[in-house]
Amino acid sequence: MPLASGPPSSFRRLRDAPSFPRVNPDAPALAATLARIVGARHVLTRASSLLVYRSDGLPGLERQPALAVFPGSREELVAVMRALAEAEAPFVARGAGTGLSGGALADGVTLLGLHRLKRIIAVDAEARTATVEPGVVNASLSRAVAPHGLHYAPDPSSQTACTIGGNIAENAGGPHCLKYGVTLNHVVRATVVLPDGTLTTLDRGDEGGYDLLGAFVGSEGCFGVVVDVTVRLTRDPERVITLLADFTSVRAAADATSRIVAAGILPAALELMDQATIEAVESSIYAAGYPRDAAAVLLIEVDGAAAGLEDDARAVEAECRGAGAREVRIAHDAAERARLWQGRKKAFGAMGRVAPHLAVQDAVVPRTRLADLLDEIRRIGERHGVRVCNVFHAGDGNLHPNIPYDANDPDASRRVHGAMREIMTRCIAEGGTITGEHGVGLDKLPYMDALFTADTLDAMCTLRDVFDPSRRANPGKVVPVRACREWHAAPAARALAREAVAR
Amino acid sequence: MSLAGSPLDRARAGLDACVHCGFCLPACPTYLALEDENDSPRGRLLLMGALLDGTVERDDPLVRDHLDKCLGCRGCETACPSGVPYGHLLEATRETLVATRPLPWVARLVLAIFARPFLLRVALLKARLARGSGLAALLARVLPRRVAMPFAMLASTRRESRPAWTPAGDGERGTATLLTGCVMEGLFTDVNRATERTLTVNGWRMTATNGQRCCGALHAHAGEADAARALARANIAAFEASAADVVVVNSAGCGAMCKEYGHLLQHDPAWAERAVRFAARVRDVHELLAAAGPRPTLASGERARVAYDAPCHLQHAQRVVDPPRAVLAALGHVVLVPLADADQCCGSAGIFNLVQPDVAERVLAPKLARIAESGAAVVATGNPGCLMQIGGGLTLEKRAVVARHPVELLDEGYARGAPPR
Repeated sequence: MPLASGPPSSFRRLRDAPSFPRVNPDAPALAATLARIVGARHVLTRASSLLVYRSDGLPGLERQPALAVFPGSREELVAVMRALAEAEAPFVARGAGTGLSGGALADGVTLLGLHRLKRIIAVDAEARTATVEPGVVNASLSRAVAPHGLHYAPDPSSQTACTIGGNIAENAGGPHCLKYGVTLNHVVRATVVLPDGTLTTLDRGDEGGYDLLGAFVGSEGCFGVVVDVTVRLTRDPERVITLLADFTSVRAAADATSRIVAAGILPAALELMDQATIEAVESSIYAAGYPRDAAAVLLIEVDGAAAGLEDDARAVEAECRGAGAREVRIAHDAAERARLWQGRKKAFGAMGRVAPHLAVQDAVVPRTRLADLLDEIRRIGERHGVRVCNVFHAGDGNLHPNIPYDANDPDASRRVHGAMREIMTRCIAEGGTITGEHGVGLDKLPYMDALFTADTLDAMCTLRDVFDPSRRANPGKVVPVRACREWHAAPAARALAREAVAR
Repeated sequence: MSLAGSPLDRARAGLDACVHCGFCLPACPTYLALEDENDSPRGRLLLMGALLDGTVERDDPLVRDHLDKCLGCRGCETACPSGVPYGHLLEATRETLVATRPLPWVARLVLAIFARPFLLRVALLKARLARGSGLAALLARVLPRRVAMPFAMLASTRRESRPAWTPAGDGERGTATLLTGCVMEGLFTDVNRATERTLTVNGWRMTATNGQRCCGALHAHAGEADAARALARANIAAFEASAADVVVVNSAGCGAMCKEYGHLLQHDPAWAERAVRFAARVRDVHELLAAAGPRPTLASGERARVAYDAPCHLQHAQRVVDPPRAVLAALGHVVLVPLADADQCCGSAGIFNLVQPDVAERVLAPKLARIAESGAAVVATGNPGCLMQIGGGLTLEKRAVVARHPVELLDEGYARGAPPR
């Protein structure tokens, strides 16, 4: 994936912008200031204490923060943000560090951990909303509102660990987003603190004005930090039917996906796992009873009013059989349903057993191109001598090609990254995009130029300037900028771009 | 100094399985209480790796502190999709580190006593005297909270004396012999007898085994692996002399250790096979009772509200999840109420509450809050450490709630008259 050589011309405006201080402020002095706000126990400065904060959920990418600070209340968070602004210190917000694009890596700057802000402030069962702090774990919100017959719909695979704040930064998806929509569709209002320390409330512009919250959700921590957010809760469906269809070819499974959607059925979830993934899951403690000899399985869920739901399930089964399914199984109780889902949700971790390291990707392609692209991905894998495990949201065309490998073997690493680059290029060529739900972060920076024109990237920077004109929030992420302050604040981004240019 | 060839180095493959996905974080009681990822499984695994490759010094006090603060509850193993053998890695790390830095004196004293039958008998006798005379309860009341906890724990093990009863059973399921345990036989004598009676009622013929020692769990968890191995060998030899089909254990921590003797002695050619054979005979008491039904107890007019709290070493280490619930479901004379976060550690963790009292209390606090919310009058849990930690906490807070072993509740029901066969 070659980057354009030299800065794109449309970064002119950025180059003309006032010059920014290019070094980080004195870390010990900043740490002392922050310790006065949050207490010394919640500021980390020693290299050995910062080791674990060098990475997030993405294997293989590490950056050393200068220091880490963990505010424990709304007041502390605002005070910390103001102190960072005062010191003109760049910072990176982090929830549970489960992200898969390196978005929460702080390269020589301050890491702002929000995991201590884990209060569910209010639940309004009647209005079906909840107001929570950013560090609340996704699944714990659903658990807390379960007695009201409600849940929080966006369900990323990491939902047992990831935080609502992180979900907002990444506009997180999940299997059930096919029917229920992504994080953006479930936020009502947020109080945020902007990088300059201003506290403000953003909403969807329902009562007039712009949808500023819409701009904020998915900004990957570059626009500011959530102090509290009001999210929409979803009524638990009256009934759920979960089906597992197995196929002797990946193509047939992909075809079944298209047929189901074309038949006018909107499943709550439609997930595909290929044989390599099935093998990893079945060898883990989350063995779900997927048939090991299948080339692919589809995990399909239909939900809603009990009346007519069985007709939907029967229609799904018919489309699967029409596409060549060998067997279609229906989970007959809640325990079997949970087991089928556990296997899917823990698939990523289960691949950890296969090899010491794992390359993870996330791309979206038109659903109708899935079958051809999966064939192509297999061929790319074979050409590079790597084993690609596919486990993904087929209904959305959201691919997750993963490759287990040993990063200590330089040859294997080279082949894995070559294959991943080729897969991503291929997805873009098919009219796809480079992220469905993981975000761009640091990992996918090199692909941005291939997907967007310089003018579009410039427009993104302009939008960012509305929220963070000093560009101190999550420097060096999302938009490959070569002409502004964050470029200088983030050696990692420079190195990555140089590497990409060299390729 | 290189760690090549150390126990941690030999366990290195387990570290490689971690993909730092973070799924373990919400399952870790110390992460939830201390709110720093260095006190989480992901953080500690990273520190273990850093120790191995020399990124951090072996005597870095902060690194040691984070590793010391781990309860070893192994809740992370249940949450881990990659199958990281966290418990084994933690023990290997502690065994490696203990070589250069002795344990705190309290820990060494306790471990030394548990390894010596005579000293142990004397210590437990003194404890019983302090309990029986009411001294323990008095000190728990008058001392400042921080130092009062051990006495409150001891006081909470006191039981009202109940009339003895003789169980009848046909022994059709086979023969079982009880691992009597140190604290179980010393402070929970009634629970041991209740275990024998309830198993008899449920078709097991009970036999006794002489020459038993401490199971060595405390030593293994603390890093004194050699002491643990010596105790394991003694126990294996003792139980080899028993013809019983199964070795039944009513302490989750001891049961988990006994089931792992094969792992503990894997590098000892003379004992490895014998250890595996012994471990295969070990069953938790709930497993045996649940397999037999168990026979239900009669309903009574006034039914106590009972909540189940899962001992970590039963739920996560032994993966015995449903059997205790099956045992409680057979209690006609109680009402079961749900307990939120019942799978979270209470902070007991062997001698952890003695060497890390502050962390233990921070972990216990949410447990006591959930118990209050549940409205239970009895917390049922099958491990002496948990019984004492929760019981001690309830005693200190002067709550009208008691901690009991599920087997005790079953025994109470049977004592009133088992239903006809």
